[in-house]
Amino acid sequence: MSLHRIFAIVLRQLYTFRKNLDRLTDVFYWPLVDLLIWGLTGVSIAKQAGNIPSLPLMIISGAVFWLIVWRGAGEITVSTVIEVSDKNLINLFVTPLKFWEWTAALVVLSVMKALLTFAVGVGIAFFLYRLNLLIYGWYLFPFLATLLVNGWCVGFFVGGIILRYGMKSRNLAFTAVQVLAPFVAIFYPASILPHWAQLISSALPASYVFESMRQFIASGTLDPQKLYIAGLLSMLYLPLSLLFLHKSFQKTLKRGLVGVH
Amino acid sequence: MLVLEVEHLTKNFGKSCAVNDISFSLGEGEILGLLGPNGAGKTTTVQMLLGVLTPSKGVIRYFGKNLTSHREEILEQLNFSSTYTTLPWELTVKENLTVISHLYRIPDRKKRLEEIAQIFRLRKIWKKPIYALSAGQMTRVNLAKAFINSPKVLLLDEPTASLDPEAAAYIREFLLHQRKTFNVSLILTSHNMAEVETICDRVIFINKGGIIANDIPENLAKSIEISHVELAIGDGLKRTIAYCQENGLSYRVTGRSIIINTHERKIAELLRTIMEIGVRYDEISIQKPTLEDYFLQMAKKDELH
Repeated sequence: MSLHRIFAIVLRQLYTFRKNLDRLTDVFYWPLVDLLIWGLTGVSIAKQAGNIPSLPLMIISGAVFWLIVWRGAGEITVSTVIEVSDKNLINLFVTPLKFWEWTAALVVLSVMKALLTFAVGVGIAFFLYRLNLLIYGWYLFPFLATLLVNGWCVGFFVGGIILRYGMKSRNLAFTAVQVLAPFVAIFYPASILPHWAQLISSALPASYVFESMRQFIASGTLDPQKLYIAGLLSMLYLPLSLLFLHKSFQKTLKRGLVGVH
Repeated sequence: MLVLEVEHLTKNFGKSCAVNDISFSLGEGEILGLLGPNGAGKTTTVQMLLGVLTPSKGVIRYFGKNLTSHREEILEQLNFSSTYTTLPWELTVKENLTVISHLYRIPDRKKRLEEIAQIFRLRKIWKKPIYALSAGQMTRVNLAKAFINSPKVLLLDEPTASLDPEAAAYIREFLLHQRKTFNVSLILTSHNMAEVETICDRVIFINKGGIIANDIPENLAKSIEISHVELAIGDGLKRTIAYCQENGLSYRVTGRSIIINTHERKIAELLRTIMEIGVRYDEISIQKPTLEDYFLQMAKKDELH
């Protein structure tokens, strides 16, 4: 792994980012819209139902944490789409750049953007609703790590599809991760899902984070076993999704990087 | 010393064979032209040489090392430019070259970027995005990218396409200078036969995925025995045309001039005969066969088959 080559790919994407201010919507606009909608919904339900002061925090935490999964996946898939649409893969891979360095750069970008999104979310939650999303203390580290890794797994898998099928699959870059949203139980307990959906939910690392988050708000403590399961599932999916991405790249090399668009 | 050795290189796409068991080499400081009609397998070959297309069979070695197992080490000393690939179009020339310079870990990056901007006359377009460049400017930027890491081996796909004659001549001189000064080895594809004849030491002609000739340009041209005899006819143009038609000679008429294509050894006989039938010509010029004639003959053969 060469840091200067990873830096080069990060720099290339940051240049693109700077030229497309609409991509700032990922960091500022969507957190603001999500927190306005879900925050007001939470406050309103809490007032009507009465005596559930923790509801706004649960809902806003859910909304912000989901943005982390979204950004984790989105930064990888969108960066892949950009390289494919710019027909730039050939320019990158005729240099000594290695596949794993390119992948590492996408991970760095997703971490940067996810943390920025989280910071913006924390700020908005505090200024609009006086809610402190840092209340989870040290648990934030396993929470954010699990959510990010869950996002990467989706990102690598979708990135692999984009490499294989090119721009005709580009819409997946923006939408695929949303398929998981109903199953990871962002705003409600997984137990209210139908049985078959609960099975899917139990296989998703992010579900355990959302369950733990709600448990923590309700009782001030959480079951560490849930985080262990989330960690184990992440360790299972991460190499599998990376393997899929790598296999897709190898398959693309058999067709030629010039032909990817 | 050989910088590149290609052995039994083959590429199949499904049932179709794009490159069929080709072997060749490239010497240090050598300029090798890769010629062939469209779809002959040139681009496929170049892609495999760059490591961005996996061969079905065969071995590619640079500096005696296998490209697959020593990819990073080899690609640091290699680069390419193609008229048919573009850099990220939203980024400026400077931004694109900065990214590439980081990928190659160029020492004293700023100085190198300035040198490159100077050599390829990029100063005026330095801060322009790629989408705002003309085709000729884009070609210059692609060439700048190709030289940024001072490569030992360079693969150029149509390096002077889209350039005006003055800029094309400048680039040709630059390539020859690089070879002379730094012993850079070059593989270039071009449809400009005069350019290939001027700068290539050797030419490989590829057709239908196979190498059908590998020689110096002069020898390939010589293998065509048809010369072009141009006559400015003073009197007897119709008789000359009739003679050509009777004897199955191809010809082209422009005003009072006629260009007759004939076998080199039969030029004397042609001139004697048309004088015998009373044709008077004021000027004569005989053009020896060129690489372009070779190319056209090979392409014609391909059409006939």
